[in-house]
Amino acid sequence: MKKIEIYVDELFKKIPQSQQKENIVKDIKQNLEEKVLDLMSQGKSEEDAINKAIVDFGDIEDIKMELGSNQSKKIEQARIQLGFSICGTVLITALFIFINFNYTPDIIWFVYPTFAVLWWPLFMLYRWLGLRQ
Amino acid sequence: MISSDIIRGHLDAIILRLIYEKDRYGYEMSKEISRRTDNQFQIKEASLYAVFQRLEKKGIIESYLGGVSYGGKRRYYRITSLGKAYFKEQIAEWEETKKIIDIFMEVLE
Repeated sequence: MKKIEIYVDELFKKIPQSQQKENIVKDIKQNLEEKVLDLMSQGKSEEDAINKAIVDFGDIEDIKMELGSNQSKKIEQARIQLGFSICGTVLITALFIFINFNYTPDIIWFVYPTFAVLWWPLFMLYRWLGLRQ
Repeated sequence: MISSDIIRGHLDAIILRLIYEKDRYGYEMSKEISRRTDNQFQIKEASLYAVFQRLEKKGIIESYLGGVSYGGKRRYYRITSLGKAYFKEQIAEWEETKKIIDIFMEVLE
């Protein structure tokens, strides 16, 4: 039975840790162990049974796709980046306003750099919205 | 043993059917599939768990820990009400699909 555990652990080694992964690995081990016992009760030797269970297991690409789909992680990252870009924009704009009114109060020019900087959070916002779909 | 891509596209339906009847756990399902198809089709455990993940994410099935096997608690799967509606829809769609494919797949003279 140790062999089953080692095999499954090896298969899932590259998938990042998560509660979901833990659950699925545990279930698969249990499933395969039950299969081995079943095959043994049909008259196979333990070694044959384990080998058959492993051969029958198949390709985990599909599971990887379901688990590894870092989509939710990417969305979370995009959200943080959006927040960062908004804070950054507010700070930069505040700085321009301060310089503008402190040094050249007669000419209102801070609007121009503000518009330029606004592209940043706007871009992040659309990226985030795009990922959320 | 058949393991064609055509069946692969319908694994969701096969599994939904099994848990539509009653709550089941992983190995039970793979055994049941082999039994009902007289071993003509055996599902790979890897595909089985990929389907569970996908359906659970969509809210079509849900899982819970139930009866104890020797290795700990088994995870059972049950169909949600959304899943039931989805499965009925799938059956109707399959009927239509079959008709269309049959038009072109009649045995040649």
